[in-house]
Amino acid sequence: MKKQIIRLRSLVMALAAFTFTVACSDDDSGAGVVTETKADSDRWITVAGAKMGTNPGDGNGGTLVYAVSSEEAKNPDKEIDVFNYGYVVPSNRTARLQASQDGNTLFNITYAGDTGGSFFKYAVNGGQNYNQIGLPVTVAQYVGTAPRWIKLFDEDQTGAAVYVSTNDVVDDKGTDDVTDDEYIKTESKIAIVTLDLENQSINEFKEHTIALDDADASKGYYISRIDMPTLNATGDKLYIGAQVRKKNPETLESDSGYEILGSKTIVLDYPSLDNPTIVTSTVGHGNTNGYRSINSFEYNGAVYQANQSDPNGSHILKIGADNQYDDAYEFSLDDALGVTGAYVLAWRPAANGKAVLAYRHDGSTEGAAGRGESFFALVDLNAKTATKITEVPYEVDMEMFQYQHYAVYGDEIYFTAAPVGKDGNIYVIDTETGNVTKGAKLINTTGSHFIGTW
Amino acid sequence: MKSLLLLLGFLSVAAMAQRNHHRQHGGKHAVLMGKVVDTHGQPLMGATILVDDNKYAAVSNDKGMYFIHNLVLGKHQVKASYMGYVVQQKPITIRQRKTLCDFELKEDSQSLQEVKLSAKSHKTEIETKGFAVSVVETKEASFRNIQTNELLNSTVGVKIRQNGGLGSNVEYSLNGLSGSSVRIFIDGIPMSMYGSSFSLNSIPPAMIENIEVYKGVVPGHLADDALGGAINIVMKKGTDRNYVNASASYGSFNTFQANASGFYRFNKGFTVKFSSFYNYSDNDYEVWGPGVVDVLPNSKTIEIKAKRFNDAYESKGVVFQTGFTNVSWADQFYIGFTGSDDYKEIQHGAFMSTYPYKDRFMESDAQLATLLYQKKDLFIDGLDINLNGLYGTRNRMVSDTNPFIYTWRGELWQDGQNNNQPREYNYGSQQEKDTYGPVLNFIERHVSSMRSGLSYEITPQHKILLNHVYSGIERDDYDEYATDLSNAFTETKDLYKQIYSLSYELNLFKERLKLNLFGKHYRQKVLNNKPSFNENRTEVINDVYKSDKDYNGYGFATSFEVLPVITLMASAEKAVRLPSENEVFGNAGDNISGNRSIKPEISNNINLGIRLGKFSYKNHGLVATTNFFTRNIQDLIGLPINANQLEQDDEVITYGNLENTTKSKGVEFQLNYNFKNNLTAHFNYSRLSLTTTRNGLEIDVANTPLFTMNGGLRYTFQNVFQPQGRLNLFYNFYFTDSFSYKYADGTHTADNGSHIVPTQWVQDLGLNYAFPKNQWVVSFDVKNIFDKAAYDNLSVQKPGRAYYLKLNYTINKL
Repeated sequence: MKKQIIRLRSLVMALAAFTFTVACSDDDSGAGVVTETKADSDRWITVAGAKMGTNPGDGNGGTLVYAVSSEEAKNPDKEIDVFNYGYVVPSNRTARLQASQDGNTLFNITYAGDTGGSFFKYAVNGGQNYNQIGLPVTVAQYVGTAPRWIKLFDEDQTGAAVYVSTNDVVDDKGTDDVTDDEYIKTESKIAIVTLDLENQSINEFKEHTIALDDADASKGYYISRIDMPTLNATGDKLYIGAQVRKKNPETLESDSGYEILGSKTIVLDYPSLDNPTIVTSTVGHGNTNGYRSINSFEYNGAVYQANQSDPNGSHILKIGADNQYDDAYEFSLDDALGVTGAYVLAWRPAANGKAVLAYRHDGSTEGAAGRGESFFALVDLNAKTATKITEVPYEVDMEMFQYQHYAVYGDEIYFTAAPVGKDGNIYVIDTETGNVTKGAKLINTTGSHFIGTW
Repeated sequence: MKSLLLLLGFLSVAAMAQRNHHRQHGGKHAVLMGKVVDTHGQPLMGATILVDDNKYAAVSNDKGMYFIHNLVLGKHQVKASYMGYVVQQKPITIRQRKTLCDFELKEDSQSLQEVKLSAKSHKTEIETKGFAVSVVETKEASFRNIQTNELLNSTVGVKIRQNGGLGSNVEYSLNGLSGSSVRIFIDGIPMSMYGSSFSLNSIPPAMIENIEVYKGVVPGHLADDALGGAINIVMKKGTDRNYVNASASYGSFNTFQANASGFYRFNKGFTVKFSSFYNYSDNDYEVWGPGVVDVLPNSKTIEIKAKRFNDAYESKGVVFQTGFTNVSWADQFYIGFTGSDDYKEIQHGAFMSTYPYKDRFMESDAQLATLLYQKKDLFIDGLDINLNGLYGTRNRMVSDTNPFIYTWRGELWQDGQNNNQPREYNYGSQQEKDTYGPVLNFIERHVSSMRSGLSYEITPQHKILLNHVYSGIERDDYDEYATDLSNAFTETKDLYKQIYSLSYELNLFKERLKLNLFGKHYRQKVLNNKPSFNENRTEVINDVYKSDKDYNGYGFATSFEVLPVITLMASAEKAVRLPSENEVFGNAGDNISGNRSIKPEISNNINLGIRLGKFSYKNHGLVATTNFFTRNIQDLIGLPINANQLEQDDEVITYGNLENTTKSKGVEFQLNYNFKNNLTAHFNYSRLSLTTTRNGLEIDVANTPLFTMNGGLRYTFQNVFQPQGRLNLFYNFYFTDSFSYKYADGTHTADNGSHIVPTQWVQDLGLNYAFPKNQWVVSFDVKNIFDKAAYDNLSVQKPGRAYYLKLNYTINKL
């Protein structure tokens, strides 16, 4: 009997040894993590990648960021593996990131998840080191747990998040009989909250119920989505981009094949967020709410705004100092690029009025994500010219519909270019000279893509 | 209590006795028989007779007689034990076909623990059939403040995944596979048929005979689709002594639990039995960590320790059965009624997020008629039949009508932008949704289930079993606040399941080699009709989803007893698990949305195990079991691999199939030690890997603990305070290694760590005192003595330190 106990003991020890081996076999975390440095005078450039979710290029698998110095960003020998060495930004779907102008701070409002609707601020410390600053402030109670938000260009003071819900107004003529009901309009309840980025608190919150003018509203046109708040040059008005859709007044179902109205922007007093009015362009038609990148910028006393889904191709529209569309400013990207059906995906001017603009057009081939091959152009807001940047090796799968941001450092604009699932590079364009530098190599992973620099 | 324990002992060996009974017809070996009586010559019914250290066992009948067949000629040790009597051991020599050996046992309450040993023989019996199975005994726990779930949690390879406190949703993980891939049975009937109000949460250990936990490979007689394994809860049959038992416990978080059960058999076999339970808890325990914040009027958030304030739970239920037992035409025939209802407040969505819920709650109820029929040797010897059916309704209602925003302080949020006035959510309810307005959501189900089993023992070595299970759920959902129009278009959600299984059992070489071969055929029908208007609202379109699919599975289990103390076991199964009702149709109360195109998961499971023991040396006893396993799973059903698919707002989750094969391998072992009858100790260890591939990277499956250890000690003091008073001290620990509830993004990525569930080390202490006549037992338990943060599922925190006091009262010999 004693023998059996001894045998048992050795068995237990063998088991323990086995399991210990299992326990320690894959513990190599930390290997290969590089410490990124930059000179005091230099700027961090944050690169972001969007991981594949279910399908290549959908970007639904989460967002990762990695920071290098601008010097390293321009170094073609540098390799950046954001998907394996990056920082995972807490967010479901693609995070919508903003950065301070000096690149030292990254801002994010968590898109859904257990902290959905909470505003976080991170100090950028190079590589995968992003350190949360202070405690989050939440806007979920005003605009839901998956808000659309943007940073205003007021020296990194303010962010603005928006929310819209709609309501059909029907006159039932005081009867239960539905056959005599008359559709009046569809109202949009818009909610805007402004955030103090510095102190991480709420500045202002307002809700308004608005509708288009009676003529359009009675036909079923309504504001279905709002986004991309932009401050005017004097800082007393806030412009909010709008998507206009149409309902069939008979059935209250979504309509299709209707006439596209002139592009519209909601104008509010700032900072009070009162007195909403709607201004309309006669130059551009279609939506002004953009997608995931900032769609309008203040330059030289006016706000320049791109529009999308314009039947005549995207335009850059101008809202003048009088807070009305300046219809004398006509900048058709179809004309400037010599294409048809230009569609602005993401753009950004430097302080000199020269911008990098990502676009696709009717001639784009469908890529992996089915959103169309995309290109970059150098745009001049004053000369109203746009030239395709030819130094980038375009491929069909280089789809930039989720492209979010360009880092601007002096006259230089940094952008990422890589096809879905393939390696690419950072490119840096000197907007004054038009010189393009091929920078650091971006290591990609299956079905994923890069969404810009901050 | 004596009788209660006796009952356990009796039942536990009854199966063996029955089997041996058949053996006599074809037995070539000698028979040992005899009579067991007390010192007054009264026959002792239910005494346990063991030959050669558990090698053969029998139980005495109502005349005190026992028979043991198939004994080899020669010398043997025969031991007789009976609850409350001194064990007697006799050496005998068998020379002829029939040998007599009578026992006269002396009364001695100090031998109470002996039944534990004999009861073990039943445990051993099941554990050495070749399946990777653990048998959990509930006897000790039934006197303590222990939930059935906690008992399971300390079993090797079993991990309970509970979303919070008493009454919250529980899932069971067996060797890392969890959710519906683990099937729970009550006496062989899938527990899901009883509904949420009748669950392991609400069944007290006192009502349970024992729990069999099958890992990976599930025997054919439990005909169901289980991928990760099965847990079969064997309820007390009470076919022996008449008794009444009642207990009540009170403790932290205003938790009150009571249950009562009884059994009475009249002379002619007419039998009545009942059991009932009542549970209540405020569940107002403290939680902290990410998401648990106070939101100031200026919307700043501050992490706080918060008391849960909308999490109360109440459940009550009764099981009443009447019929006949031990009559010529039936061993057991019962018709009965099971009724239960519960009320559960819902504190938050799938995560503990910034804004908790207030006044969101659900109510469930179930009314089921049940039928049970069991007869051994029906018409001919060796043909056993077993029928088990239920029919009834189950309903659930989810209410969410408060539009106001509350914070984790349990108070209305004060809107600093509006003079600190309360604010309503944009969507007019606590849980975020696309449309505005309150929610009053009803689910009505008609459920039916029939399980039938037929087994025939051709010879003592060969047995065939045929089993069939049918279950059907017809479900209607409607929302009280939805427009009349949308309610006019009631969705129908029907799910039907049929499973056939055929098993063959073989035992050779005096039961040293056992083999069980089985094949299963699965069939599931899903019918979902969602009527809606066409675009122009001119006609109604029926959006019909129909699926009728069938699958086959098969497997085997075998064991070989190399030496009496060494048994080798191997089992394998191609297992199929059909998606559950909640996975297909969703369930708002549990924050789950439906996925009607979800596919079944199919796995190849292999187990290899060794059982060593029982080694006895002087007063020491030791049993060790270990099991190695692999799983290879196609279409594993789980939380979606991409965080974004956790629905737009993460307040509800949707189950889906993993695209790539999931692989698992692991090891577990368990040690049980006892010293005399005073000290018992157990320790178990389970470690596994569970990985899948994503974007070419091999990653751990999220939200699965991969390494757990549990252990426990019990020490008994005899004759404390009064002669024959017993004091038991208990200590338990539960260790769970850290795991992530999200999938890893890359090989060396950094993040804020909020998705990591930290290492957990929870310890409990308890004591109970049994008064001399064993009618009264008092227990006191301290759970989570060091008040550590404990989590089971996602980041939802469970209760911290808690105290419970329990009184248990039993009257026998009615």
